[in-house]
Amino acid sequence: MADETTLTAAREEAGEAKPAAAPSAAPRGDAPTDDDRATNFFKVAGRRRTPVASRLATVVKRSLALVLLAGLWEVLPRVGAVDAVFVPPLSEILVAWYDMLLAGQLPEHFQASLIRSLSGFGLAIVLAIPLGLAIGWYRPVADFLSPVLELFRNTSAVALLPVFILIFGLGETSKIVFVFYACAWPILLNTVSGVKTVEPLLIKSARSMGLGPVRLFQKVILPAAVPTIFTGIRLAGAYSILVLIFAEMVGAKAGLGYLIQDAQFSFRIPDMYAGIITISALGLLFNLLLLSVERRFSTWRTS
Amino acid sequence: MSLQTAEQNLLEESVAEAGEPSAKPVKIGIRNVGKVFQIRGSDRPFTAVQDVSLDVREGEFLTLVGPSGCGKSTLLDLIAGLTSPTSGELLIDGTPIDGPGLDRGIVFQQYALFPWRTALANIEFGLEAKAVPKRERRERARHYLDLVGLDGFEHRYPHELSGGMRQRVAIARSLAFDPDVLLMDEPFAALDAQTRESLQEELLRIWEKTNKTIVFITHGIDEAVYLGQRVAVMTSRPGRIKRVLDIAFDSREGDLRADPRFGEYRHHIWTLLRDEVAAAQEQERTIG
Repeated sequence: MADETTLTAAREEAGEAKPAAAPSAAPRGDAPTDDDRATNFFKVAGRRRTPVASRLATVVKRSLALVLLAGLWEVLPRVGAVDAVFVPPLSEILVAWYDMLLAGQLPEHFQASLIRSLSGFGLAIVLAIPLGLAIGWYRPVADFLSPVLELFRNTSAVALLPVFILIFGLGETSKIVFVFYACAWPILLNTVSGVKTVEPLLIKSARSMGLGPVRLFQKVILPAAVPTIFTGIRLAGAYSILVLIFAEMVGAKAGLGYLIQDAQFSFRIPDMYAGIITISALGLLFNLLLLSVERRFSTWRTS
Repeated sequence: MSLQTAEQNLLEESVAEAGEPSAKPVKIGIRNVGKVFQIRGSDRPFTAVQDVSLDVREGEFLTLVGPSGCGKSTLLDLIAGLTSPTSGELLIDGTPIDGPGLDRGIVFQQYALFPWRTALANIEFGLEAKAVPKRERRERARHYLDLVGLDGFEHRYPHELSGGMRQRVAIARSLAFDPDVLLMDEPFAALDAQTRESLQEELLRIWEKTNKTIVFITHGIDEAVYLGQRVAVMTSRPGRIKRVLDIAFDSREGDLRADPRFGEYRHHIWTLLRDEVAAAQEQERTIG
């Protein structure tokens, strides 16, 4: 066989030009192979740019519902369709929000909440991921811990709050433990399933290349599990704020949950809504942040 | 390539000229090998392969055909060292196979590329396992990417490649750590006919260039005849070797598939397989 000719023919096939018929070649149709098609596809995709106009259209389309909601919130109380005492117009709430910001009230509560939720959330990441990896990877660990885990994961975090307060007191510790507990589950369960659902063929392939258990774990199991672990982390991020607000409403002297509860008790309705909006914004921000971190870690995913 | 391997190639060429390929030493020795699985929830053992004996010589291209479920893949796993036989023994270069190793590379039907690694990084995988320094790793990976005709696709992730390209990367990955033996488990079965043909041609070219010993599993008779120097036909389960045929063409130039001998080989294997396929289907009915 003429090596040179077929070699270049192969290169061209993967590139653009059609190969000149190699002397030893079996008949090969003129239609492009799927390799050719794929090549062309990538070229098109690489060159295409989204025009500014169409991007703008997307922004408008996406924010239309939000703008509409804000408009209704402003107009309905003003025309008397809803009671302006209980649902003040949005503008009043924003003014209240701005006042609290300037007075330093909002930053103080915001900071208290953020520290608590980040501590619990961070603790959950640091402890639940290694534990999940161990459970997913070592059968004996899974067999040993499964019954206990099954029991605890079906015990609501909220139901355990009184226990945490009894043990850790009314201070910061009980709240952080509470957030940690709520965050640990999604991270733990997703990590376990991430490790367990690694494509067996990939493990087989790596084993066939002589990888021992340690390197197999490091080079195959861990990277393959990253996307699933991140799903758990994002869920936990949402939980961390969700449950914290509850804890702060039950017993706290600071924090956004306390602010909302306190504002409602003392009938500062705009302040209450301002607190609620701040929480929504915080949750949204948290999720966006985690999403962008996730993207950095798993650029290889199809979606 | 080092001087030593170049010398070796020369030496092998002269041997090939001097005598028949069967004069070469046995690379893979399969001696009365059997594999029995214990199926969960059933006390009846499952015999995948039984009393298989086969020698694959150094530098040989052997294809293995058989009806589906006849234990072809089990046999490949055994050679790869991914499972151990329940009876008999497997030898590589005369020493018993004891677990997987980088002297054998496997190419799977479903590519088995690591989706979080680029084409180049996938090819480097085996080299990392071999602890090749980073610089050399990169160089070698590029070389083999070129060899399979994918230069320019270094930084694509598997999901950005077509099926044919993925299989090229998988082949390059297995070649990169320079194994003596290439084990291929229906590697082209998932590809369209055209891509399959061009990859078959390329595989032959690579084989001639690299002098690897190749064991190639397929359920396609045409593919077996086209690629193999010898074709081993397996029986239905439990898989045994029914017949081993030497495939010899006067010349491989031109359209091999149009050669009258191609048709004869093809028909011969088809006849051998016909009864086995019927038996396999009968088995499936009685079990299912």
